[in-house]
Amino acid sequence: MDPLDDQQRLDDRAKRQEWRHALDPSADLRPAGDPTDPTASAAPAPTASTPAPGALAAAELAPFGEAAAVPAVQAPAPAAAPTRIERTTPLSHPPHVADPSDLVLAARGLRVAFSGNEILHGIDLDAPRGGVLALVGPSGCGKTTLLRSINRLTELAPTAAIGGQILLDGQDVYAGGTDLNLLRRRVGMVFQQPNPFPMTIFDNVAFAIREQAKRRPSRGELMPQVADVLQRAGLWDEVKDNLDRNALSLSGGQQQRLCIARTLAANPEVILMDEPCSALDPRSTARIEELIVQLAGSLSVVIVTHNLAQAKRIADYAAYLLNGDLIEQGLAKKVFEDPDNQSTRDFVAGMFG
Amino acid sequence: MPTRISDRLGIGIAYGAGGILMAAVAVLMLWLVVQGVGTISWDFLTGEPAAGSLEQGVSGGILPAIVGTLIVVAFGMLVAIPMGLGVAIFLTEYRQPAWLAKGTDTAIDLIFGVPSVVFALFGLAIFSQGWLAWLSNPVGGTGMATAQSFFCSSLMMALIGLPPVVRSSQAAILGVPNQQREAAYALGKGRLTTIRRIVVPGARPGVATGIMLGIGRIAGDTAIVWILLGGAVLQAPPDGWYLPWNLLDFLRSEGSTLTTYIYFSSPAGEGNSPGPAYGAALVLMVVILIVNIALIRSSRRKIGKR
Repeated sequence: MDPLDDQQRLDDRAKRQEWRHALDPSADLRPAGDPTDPTASAAPAPTASTPAPGALAAAELAPFGEAAAVPAVQAPAPAAAPTRIERTTPLSHPPHVADPSDLVLAARGLRVAFSGNEILHGIDLDAPRGGVLALVGPSGCGKTTLLRSINRLTELAPTAAIGGQILLDGQDVYAGGTDLNLLRRRVGMVFQQPNPFPMTIFDNVAFAIREQAKRRPSRGELMPQVADVLQRAGLWDEVKDNLDRNALSLSGGQQQRLCIARTLAANPEVILMDEPCSALDPRSTARIEELIVQLAGSLSVVIVTHNLAQAKRIADYAAYLLNGDLIEQGLAKKVFEDPDNQSTRDFVAGMFG
Repeated sequence: MPTRISDRLGIGIAYGAGGILMAAVAVLMLWLVVQGVGTISWDFLTGEPAAGSLEQGVSGGILPAIVGTLIVVAFGMLVAIPMGLGVAIFLTEYRQPAWLAKGTDTAIDLIFGVPSVVFALFGLAIFSQGWLAWLSNPVGGTGMATAQSFFCSSLMMALIGLPPVVRSSQAAILGVPNQQREAAYALGKGRLTTIRRIVVPGARPGVATGIMLGIGRIAGDTAIVWILLGGAVLQAPPDGWYLPWNLLDFLRSEGSTLTTYIYFSSPAGEGNSPGPAYGAALVLMVVILIVNIALIRSSRRKIGKR
């Protein structure tokens, strides 16, 4: 790993070391059961210590993994190798270990049903301030519903019924008198499918800023802000000469970074991300992951992903959901490497999901 | 080419249907052009109907009819577009209360299906009320109104122009991806902002199609013109009608449109002048074509440079 420059980063890193991975890229960061991993046989497969339910599957996978590794097709090395992405700017907020009680977001007994069919059965989620919280779990476990309930998008579905609390800085966002539009500016969201508006690149960002003001600000007035968020989203250099081009002419990865820029323009404290890379190619995915990690130095990110490798690369905290229940949560290292719950263990070992 | 007989048959039918339609339209247009183009001259386009227009071939010019069509279309759509768009937004984005949405839906279907002569009759009953005499002209001594004016006919025209605007806008609004609405909501935008800045702009091509269909319906309607604009086909408008201070009087007076002119001058009507009838029909078609092209052009969203 690169040596860190200043004392503050060293301090910060020291704190993070306690709950971060030991940074050994070869051993622990890929799902142990991953059949394409040439190192799989060398990795201390967690399945070995977990006999009953997963044993059969592991037994089936192992020989297949070896067989697949023999013809050296693996040569160009997996671009998606879950090497831990490090933050180059330190967390501006104290990390979890410093003050585990400082929660930016928390769900308390959150229950959500659509048409009487309960999707979430009373979720108690803790999202510490700063850093990346990954919500993981098999498809249909309610991750996305949980995420969308935080900025109250769930209730756009007329059949949705919501109970319990979501606390943002200790305030229940479902309390009466909540300003929905303000809430959604404080808690931004990036979607699975890049969804820029059919406008120019500039207007996409300006849309987020405009209309909050009483008087419509001019292009000149908006430009510094637009440039700033595009820079933070790592898109500025690519688009600075083409701000008046149709945003839909950008590539998928660029579109997604534009969506992140647009979200940043509303100046949120928390950004929710719903599988933001699942529609992108590996290169774009890598850029976005890098971006997420850096952004999480100054704000909090809650990301839904069913890409376990991605979660391992970027998450500081993790929560594992199964069938509408929160099974386990805590530091990412703990949840991914030494989970308390058998079901979590099976999931992170790639047994199912 | 698929090998299965049934597939080939299906493709054959589809090709045939398309081909027959295209041929029919081509023949119709060609016929109109061939028959009508000889009549069209500067005098025909800018002249007024002649006094001796019952004689074959001398029914004069069609300027008042062109103006009449444009007025009825413009005023009718002036009401139909905002109202139709509003109804479409209500039916797609709000739909609350449900009974109102359902009722509106049914009403639109009804208006769409009912022939315009029914509306004309209904309009006659309403606009002939004395207290609505300001829309047309009072009939002396009766306390009633003539109910025949550009105002009266335009209002009823709005009703027949409305359904295509609603239905086409509705489809277009539903076609705006939900992701874009959610994106706007997630940025802290309210419903109204989202509709105004995201949904309606996204639906523009569909709205334009609806407007085109509405214009076609209004420009092509004869019954409402006949009953609510008066049988003033052969009558020239008053001198200087276009002057602003005369305009209101003009709009409260009877008039004609291209459709009634066509009927009147055709052998089926009173004129027995097929030449001018074809000429007017050709002009009507060209006018609608020009309006449609202009609409399609303007509805195409051009985003940014290049």
